Amino acid sequence: MDEFLTVERQGGLLQINLKDHWVFANVNTLQQTLDEIDPGVENRVRFVCGGLKDFDLAGAWVLYEKSMDYEELDIETEFDGFKATHFKFLQHIIDIAAQKEYIPGFFDPQPSHYWRNSIRTIGENTIEAVDSVGYIARSVLDGIKRPSRLVVGETIHQIHATGAAAIPIVMVVCFLMGIVLAYQSARQLEQFGANIFMVDLVANAIFRELGVLLAAIMVAGRSGSAFAAALGTMKLTEEVDALRVMGLNPNQILIIPRVLGLMIALPLLTVFADIAGLLGGAFIGATVLDINWFSFTERLASTIDVNDVLVGLSKAPMFAFLIAVTGTLRGMQVKGSAEELGRLTTVAVVQSIFLIIVADAIFTVVYARIGF
Amino acid sequence: MPEQHEHMITIRGLVNRFGSQTVHDGLELDVRRDEILGVVGGSGTGKSVLLRSILGLHGPNEGTIKVMGQEIRYHEPGPHKKWGVLFQDGALLSGLTVQENVELPIALHSDLPIDTRRELAVLKIFMVGLDLNAASKYPNELSGGMRKRASMARALALEPKVLFLDEPTAGLDPISATEFDRLISYLHANLDLTIVLVTHDVDTLFGVCDRVAVLVNKGIIVDTLDEIVKHPDPWIQEYFGDPRAVRARKAAKSRVKT
Repeated sequence: MDEFLTVERQGGLLQINLKDHWVFANVNTLQQTLDEIDPGVENRVRFVCGGLKDFDLAGAWVLYEKSMDYEELDIETEFDGFKATHFKFLQHIIDIAAQKEYIPGFFDPQPSHYWRNSIRTIGENTIEAVDSVGYIARSVLDGIKRPSRLVVGETIHQIHATGAAAIPIVMVVCFLMGIVLAYQSARQLEQFGANIFMVDLVANAIFRELGVLLAAIMVAGRSGSAFAAALGTMKLTEEVDALRVMGLNPNQILIIPRVLGLMIALPLLTVFADIAGLLGGAFIGATVLDINWFSFTERLASTIDVNDVLVGLSKAPMFAFLIAVTGTLRGMQVKGSAEELGRLTTVAVVQSIFLIIVADAIFTVVYARIGF
Repeated sequence: MPEQHEHMITIRGLVNRFGSQTVHDGLELDVRRDEILGVVGGSGTGKSVLLRSILGLHGPNEGTIKVMGQEIRYHEPGPHKKWGVLFQDGALLSGLTVQENVELPIALHSDLPIDTRRELAVLKIFMVGLDLNAASKYPNELSGGMRKRASMARALALEPKVLFLDEPTAGLDPISATEFDRLISYLHANLDLTIVLVTHDVDTLFGVCDRVAVLVNKGIIVDTLDEIVKHPDPWIQEYFGDPRAVRARKAAKSRVKT
């Protein structure tokens, strides 16, 4: 207690002598030290600051709060011996405290309406989603009616960025997937001495499902996030507004090229994915399973027809559409903060992968029904 | 007698080079305790680089910088609890409310209970002339002037001894700018503050600053306003001879008289 103050009691007067550093760094100790003082029977408190070496707003605030506590207990408080600068701080706190009375509810915890708020959030999000989908659909339509020359160049750029640039990574992933498939199927088929059917399994899986699916998921991770982050940043830095006031339809030059570009790029990417997957299977066939390159291609030609390839390729534009629309839509929804940008980018990737898998399930069921 | 003054910031032999271009060459500067020092200079004379060097955000090629006796090294912790910085566009964290933004440094550098932290933050928010309504808002919901004030509250959160202001009035309308100048004077008068402000605004310069540091010829010339306008350097003559500066000077003088 002796560190920051000393206490004297004399006939109804409690005198608190302050000393040393009453500053921000010591606020905790100061509060505790003051709280430890027992007001006792005295009905008058005097704060004296003879030995005060340093005093700042935080220190003054601690003192003022304590004096308010005493007033509530009907104990008179007075300040004595303050230097002009010290007193200035105190006066300040008193002025500011007077202002604070305006909004009494601010410090009370607000009652939480968890369920009401959740339902409201769902409703608001739904309306917002419908609103923005409609808005973008309309401007896309506008854009198609009055195409701008910028769209063509931008689309080509997007095909390069989302398609050509992704070829190596997509091919590596599919090559590895081909290896995995070949190994796993060979392990089962060995029991029947039917190693050659590995080709059927690998080729069907890659062509009909995995080629396009892996390509789409890689693209969702690469480009879906890029779309959301790029458009979100453009929203935050008012670039989107700048385009609008220049008379350009931002949806037309930002969204259409991305959607169009990806719808062209992903089917092409799928072709590369399929090739890499087959190469992976053939590689394992030739090196481990005694199926040489010639018998692999022969078996491939007899088991796969063009329909199997088309099944995979026909899904690609739909997946591309889902990825591009989710990414751009989420990007356009960014407003306000960097935090929001991060959140919506995550949402864009998660939702597009989710939608891809849902769409794939629907495709598979429908194709199985119609025998495609 | 400069020896009588306690120096809050001392810079010795500062050299900053970017490729073949030398921005500062042996720059020396002393900032006295309790003064408001305005830093001016043409584009490319290294105002920002100087400020960033002092704050440890830029590593100078040569020279030593001391703030309150502590030597500043690039990317190493400086006297964080003793200085506050107001960045040009506020640099408030966009994911937090104003209140939370001001509480953040307090929470980082102390173990105060939440109530105390909150009260202290509110104190600072009132101090810069905002109210509780503004305190509960996010930075993007505020006007430019309010954002600067909020950022000022954050800079003041830890009761700093030195305050750095980067272009405090840039992007504000004249009324807000004048009000902000008043806020700077008010804070300086009421707190133990040494203020270094980088500015283009001649009104701020004449209205607020005690001394002016002009960056010319890769060095720096520091003097009081009355003296510096007489300096023979051509850039200084041009700068202070500009009609806007002349008007600002007259306005500041008439304000002192009344």
